Amino acid sequence: MASDTSSAHDKHDEHGHGIAHVAAVKVLLGTWIALMFLTIITVAATKIDLGTNWNLALAMVIAVVKATLVVLFFMHLAYDKLFHTVLVVAGLFAAALFVGFALMDSGQYQQTIIWDTDKPPPAPIGPRPVP
Amino acid sequence: MSDHDHDHGHGDDGHGHHGGHGHGSPWIQHHYDDAQHQFDSGKLGIWFFLVQEVLFFSGLFVAYILYRYHHPEIYAYAHSYLDVKWGAINTAVLIISSLTAAWAVRCAQLAQRRGLIFCLAVTIACACGFLGIKYVEYSHKIHERILFGKKFDPCIASAGNHLLNKENYCPGVKTSVVWDAKTNKADRGCLDAPTGYDWDPALKGIQGKCVVNELTMSGTGANRKEVSRRPVEACAPSPDHGSGHGGGHGKQTYPCWTLEQNPHVCPKGPGAMVHYGDHTSRGSTVEIEVTCEAVPAPVEPKDALAPVDGKLERGEASFKKPVTPSKHDLKHEFQSGPPPEHTNMFFSIYFAMTGLHGLHVLFGIFVYIWLLVRAIKGHFTPDYFGPVDYAALYWHLVDLIWIFLFPLLYLIH
Repeated sequence: MASDTSSAHDKHDEHGHGIAHVAAVKVLLGTWIALMFLTIITVAATKIDLGTNWNLALAMVIAVVKATLVVLFFMHLAYDKLFHTVLVVAGLFAAALFVGFALMDSGQYQQTIIWDTDKPPPAPIGPRPVP
Repeated sequence: MSDHDHDHGHGDDGHGHHGGHGHGSPWIQHHYDDAQHQFDSGKLGIWFFLVQEVLFFSGLFVAYILYRYHHPEIYAYAHSYLDVKWGAINTAVLIISSLTAAWAVRCAQLAQRRGLIFCLAVTIACACGFLGIKYVEYSHKIHERILFGKKFDPCIASAGNHLLNKENYCPGVKTSVVWDAKTNKADRGCLDAPTGYDWDPALKGIQGKCVVNELTMSGTGANRKEVSRRPVEACAPSPDHGSGHGGGHGKQTYPCWTLEQNPHVCPKGPGAMVHYGDHTSRGSTVEIEVTCEAVPAPVEPKDALAPVDGKLERGEASFKKPVTPSKHDLKHEFQSGPPPEHTNMFFSIYFAMTGLHGLHVLFGIFVYIWLLVRAIKGHFTPDYFGPVDYAALYWHLVDLIWIFLFPLLYLIH
């Protein structure tokens, strides 16, 4: 890991300390231009009517691409230790588990938790909770 | 991580003699083997922090997804209260600051002190710009009561103007009309075309249970702006009030308005007409604001402001009598009447997500100011630039979260 980072940065870094990879200007600017371009695309995409779900899917795909660009190049993950990638993937996996499990039983929720004295929400299905 | 000490010419500078050593940074702590060890440890720590930040925010995303799944109509309606323009500008601002944050790391690694200072300063400026735009958005929402929970009041929001025009859904409703005298067109609100020079902009929205009790008119003329506010009853055509506006133009008179039913504009329903009495002080843009008060009792058939067809029943039915829409009504963004129930939940989620994100931006500003001070002092060297890198990683995460927030909140189709 560190050996290939050192060969990568030697082109840029005459001081030769090599604590971490030095991002090339081309990579930084390229990533930035891509991000700006994708921002314009995602705004423009709302003008096209693909149906609510497909518009949402398109916007999310663009957001994921942007996020990947930021993580790989701005956050140096493409050149970084493998363990940091493992950490990120594990974190995303944990978040996906959390979101997934929360959505799995979403049909069990009450219609509303906003208590309106004029219109009390319907009683939840099932036995009364034990106090 | 045993491969950190090969062939870089500084393998011997770590052990204990920090401070004053020739090429070892004085900021390398003695409990680390060397600069590499310290950097790697810090980087591992910041990555752990970022992972828990992702989990932290994912709780709010769960709230968002759940509520959107169950109430898609609220999102489709409520996002129109957000301005895509500001959201897009803020996205661009954050991406620019992300670039400078990443570039700052590069500068620190290459010992480019001036570049480092410049990049850090631009990052701070962009972060402040982001918060400034957020301030504009938030204050607009607070002003128009586009808020969470019971604070949400679509009748005050200008985006809720259609409620007044369509169904008079709002008690104590308020609307405003922006009138361009040059083009003889209302560019906002419900206002019909005037007749000739003595134009009489007519406010149609005043229907049913609504009784006008106050008018505000402000015009921007060639070089002055005047605002008058008075009860309608007090607004007699006598132009003898000289106080309260203008400056350097000698004695001036208030413009004066009277309200009356306007059968031309609203032949099928009640309406009101505003006479603008002071021709000389008319400006190029006139803004008329009408505040109505709901009358709880059913209106009398002979009431000038009552609906004409007389089929109204007691109670709220009379309050929701639809009126034939005019061509002006069709221009309104919303065609569907009152907002869906619990629209305020969207703004609860909006303020929670953007608020927490904004707090992260605020914290980032403090961190970057601290970095800037240290960079000016010359603390950062190619073997000690960890703080710049860690802050940049944090800043990129803040950018990442906004990358998702922007389409999810602003760009709902």
